Amino acid sequence: MSRIPATPLRTAVPPAAPPAAPVAGTLGRVADADRVVVGVADLAVSRDATKSIITYALGSCIGVTVYDPVAKVGGMLHFMLPESSVSKEKAAANPAMFGDLGIPLLFEKVIAAGAKRERLVVCAAGGAEVLADDGHFRIGNRNRTILRKIFWKLNLLLAADDTGGQHSRTLTLRLADGSISIRAQGKETPLWPH
Amino acid sequence: MAALNDAIAALERLPAMPATSVQLISLLAGGGHDANLAEVERIIRHDEAVAAAVLRRANSAAFSLPGRIYGLSEAIRRLGARNLCRIAFESQASSYLAEAGRAYGLRRGALSQAALGGAIAADSLARTHGADPELCFVAALLRDIGKLAIDAVAGESALDALSIEGEDSGRDFLALERQAFGADHAELGAMLCARWSLPAPIVRAVAHHHAPPADHPDLVSDIVHAADCVARWAGLGVGNDGLMYPFDSGARGRLHTSRDELEALVADVLAAVAPATVRRSIPLGRTA
Repeated sequence: MSRIPATPLRTAVPPAAPPAAPVAGTLGRVADADRVVVGVADLAVSRDATKSIITYALGSCIGVTVYDPVAKVGGMLHFMLPESSVSKEKAAANPAMFGDLGIPLLFEKVIAAGAKRERLVVCAAGGAEVLADDGHFRIGNRNRTILRKIFWKLNLLLAADDTGGQHSRTLTLRLADGSISIRAQGKETPLWPH
Repeated sequence: MAALNDAIAALERLPAMPATSVQLISLLAGGGHDANLAEVERIIRHDEAVAAAVLRRANSAAFSLPGRIYGLSEAIRRLGARNLCRIAFESQASSYLAEAGRAYGLRRGALSQAALGGAIAADSLARTHGADPELCFVAALLRDIGKLAIDAVAGESALDALSIEGEDSGRDFLALERQAFGADHAELGAMLCARWSLPAPIVRAVAHHHAPPADHPDLVSDIVHAADCVARWAGLGVGNDGLMYPFDSGARGRLHTSRDELEALVADVLAAVAPATVRRSIPLGRTA
């Protein structure tokens, strides 16, 4: 699997070389070498401005991005289920699987990497719903609910989000400038800045 | 009609499924009660890569079989039918599926990972519902094999257009595939499985994996359908078809499976197919 070498969390100063990422707000393909790929039930935090953090094919799962524009530290979580109570054992092995544990963990990691809580720009995408779900499962909806519940608890507001529907989304956070884009249904659109 | 002919012609052009997998699956699915050890060994011995995979797996920590196993027949006997199916699939068929799903916007390996995730879910559901685990495992492994034919006939971004249409109209993705290509990936997959002479319950479950039959329900089809939903919830194999397939309420009722049970299964499936992901997140936690 072409998983990233574990560069994500660096406490060292970012490299002096100029960032290779696109200029603020521009979209475009990110070269493989510049990607930090976040898998399902995974999170990554980085302060390497040459990198973009990306997660593919969010269905009912939710991708959460956090970015400190001053420290240029960012992170992304891809959680799958709302609550860890369904499997304590899995939650202990991998808290990033669950929204209720993964979201606070993401904040903890970016702050430990040098971000300041009051400067964080927080965005989210995903939480799609299975077609014609009669209300029995609604995992996408419940993932969206836990997201809002935890942000309420942490006293944080989402800067932008793109959730719901039935389609999948690929989410990219560029660490050079904190710009976030979503690729869905063959089209790439900026999520932040608007 | 032209589109349907193209889709069927695409099936003809697909490379044959590696013989070892097909022979083993045909022999062992259904419980493997008629499988004769010598016959299984003959098939595996014929294929060096699978034989090596069987020996390697028999000696791996995952199976914790006591003592070192050098002989193929002992490895086969001790691994059992289900593990042999899994090993044969992983060593052969996963490479068959690895490149599949391009038309769906899936990355390399995503469809084989989703196949395995669904198979693990089906195996688990079969055990709790008294169905044949081997049969359910194999049927779920092969459920999306018809996507290979769609890959061959769908032009670039054709499925993106279907995705937009699906979201606007609320129609399920299979109906949109039938409208565009004359057949959907479930039907095409079932045709392929029938051509490989796989057991009828597998062909039926592949055909119905998004819509189990209401008039003549069968447990294997219900389980494979639920397993497909579980894999999708685990984020596996979600392409530009998104979540545009319903979870059939009839199958759900017949299986009597609670939301918590299915969610626990989602977590189990992901931990089983993406252990590297799980491991990698832990060092991140420690580094801080």
